Amino acid sequence: MKNLFLFFILFASFYKYSLANDSGSTVYAYVNGLVCDFCARALEKTIGKNDAVKSINVDLRDKIITINFNENKKLENSIIEQLIADAGYSVREITSEKK
Amino acid sequence: MRKYFYLSFLVALFYSDFVKSRPVSYPGGLTLMLMNNSMKNSLHAHYSPTAKASFGYKFEYWRKNQFSLNLIQMNNLIKRWNKPDSQANFYLKSGLGNAYSDKGRFDSKNGIAGFAGISTDWEDQRYFIQYANRYTYAAEIDKFYTQSLHFGITPYIGDYGDIHTWLMMKIDHKPKFKKNFIFTPHFRFFKDVHLLEVGADLSGKVMFNYIFRY
Repeated sequence: MKNLFLFFILFASFYKYSLANDSGSTVYAYVNGLVCDFCARALEKTIGKNDAVKSINVDLRDKIITINFNENKKLENSIIEQLIADAGYSVREITSEKK
Repeated sequence: MRKYFYLSFLVALFYSDFVKSRPVSYPGGLTLMLMNNSMKNSLHAHYSPTAKASFGYKFEYWRKNQFSLNLIQMNNLIKRWNKPDSQANFYLKSGLGNAYSDKGRFDSKNGIAGFAGISTDWEDQRYFIQYANRYTYAAEIDKFYTQSLHFGITPYIGDYGDIHTWLMMKIDHKPKFKKNFIFTPHFRFFKDVHLLEVGADLSGKVMFNYIFRY
């Protein structure tokens, strides 16, 4: 029982450590013209193709896209603006913290 | 002729998994649009190399005059106004191809066909309004002008991935037709990459539109 408990403690520590190392940085882009699911899909597809991007979350209510980057990767704000423009939209602001 | 239409419809449904309500999509986006109302059945599949243009295949079957159009269609986004809570667009649409009729004196008649028109819309998450017009030339078979007003409201605002429900009205105006105004109240359901419109005009003829974007 004691060994099992120790195993779980070790496993939990390792899992937490691996998650911490797996996460890159995050930016929040406030987008103009984001009004429907097709717009959200366009942003997901256009930005998601970039190798630096790990995942994207689109918040249609607040018109914010959250871009999570792969470890040690990031995009300049100007590149993010260009990707959003390529998808057919424009940017109000890009921040590293959600307002 | 009818067999040809059904075959096209089945082909479109079969290939819908490979394709992606706007006339222009995002770069690399594919769109399939199936439209059926009191006057015509149509299928439009297009590819967008950029967010400002798309090109693709358009099939239309006009039931009353029993003629079909097979066209290459180009759509161009001339201007988009992106605002914090809304979006407005102005498009040019055009098509060029072939017209075919199997009706009466036009039996097996083929000829050059084309159309040109504009479409403009404004929407936010609560309201939608769109105006579109078009002049269609179908060789010696038919020539006509059409325009439409399409508007709606949603009773609730959902997030991305939710089912969005809209209460909508489409008013079609066809000056050349005997019954030249057609009012079609309908529902629009929108989720992810699927958009479905279901309704009926005031004489009970069904409207069924489906759009898939990939």
